[in-house]
Amino acid sequence: MNFRLQFIYLIIVPSFLGLGVNFINQNSLPLVAKSIEEITSSDHLKSSNQLANIRKIDIKLALELYSKKTLFVDARAEEYLSDGIIPGAIFNDDIEILSSKIDSVIGLDSAFVVYCSDDDCGSSEDLAFELQDLGFTNILVFSGGWKSWTDSGYEIQKYE
Amino acid sequence: MKFKNMNKVHPYIILFMRIVLGLVFIAASYDKLLNPQQFARDISNYHFIPFGLENFVAIILPWIELFIGTSLILGIMIDGSVLTTGVLLIMFNFLVFQAMIRGFNIECGCGLKEGEMVGVQKLIENFTLLIFSYTIFINKKRIFEFYPKTTLS
Repeated sequence: MNFRLQFIYLIIVPSFLGLGVNFINQNSLPLVAKSIEEITSSDHLKSSNQLANIRKIDIKLALELYSKKTLFVDARAEEYLSDGIIPGAIFNDDIEILSSKIDSVIGLDSAFVVYCSDDDCGSSEDLAFELQDLGFTNILVFSGGWKSWTDSGYEIQKYE
Repeated sequence: MKFKNMNKVHPYIILFMRIVLGLVFIAASYDKLLNPQQFARDISNYHFIPFGLENFVAIILPWIELFIGTSLILGIMIDGSVLTTGVLLIMFNFLVFQAMIRGFNIECGCGLKEGEMVGVQKLIENFTLLIFSYTIFINKKRIFEFYPKTTLS
């Protein structure tokens, strides 16, 4: 068997195996990922037909929620916090400590905002999914994150 | 292109390279197999795979890594395995490089170390493994190769 044929075998056989295992897995992934729903108004936060636990918000709604004293959670790595944080935002590297802190402040079902550096950082979504696994049902991922907040000139707080 | 004497490496060194490369790929597949959801999100953070296909990649890629890692160690279809590792490593380096150029500060999702970020160190690691792949591919005098058999097996 030449190496080209081996290459084809080594791609095709495990691919079908992976698809088969995913098919019978209870927590199987859909083959195509769905993007996270984006909401633009705080009216949608209390929607009775809310299906998703995680939704995206933009800077406008983030500011509105901030003015309503909604809890913000910073998902950036600690070394980036020296730039500052959104005032009142909480942070903890340890997911267990962080989740119990959120739970003690607002419970599992109230909306809170998670943010990271910018549109492309990804850690806010990662944290949102981890928190969803721990039982939180109303998580808002602030798309623009820290960059969008500071570019808009909104107030920040020194992290200590 | 062949580098001078690169095709005359001692069979035991080739075996060592095979085991290292195989173990790296098996180790890399482990977390991804256990948590494909997390791996799909890691892929998504690269903002490169279109049409929501990160899930599809997250489903099949860890199994490919597991197969080629195991094949390298067991001495089965070594040429095909190192060709696959080579293609994957070039692809991984391209993804890491484009993420760095675009200024993404993201976890690499490589499955080896938790919280490992994209960066020059990752590029160097992948490039080293790519050299291993190439060296194994061009050295046909191998030991412990069981299928297809070589003269030395």
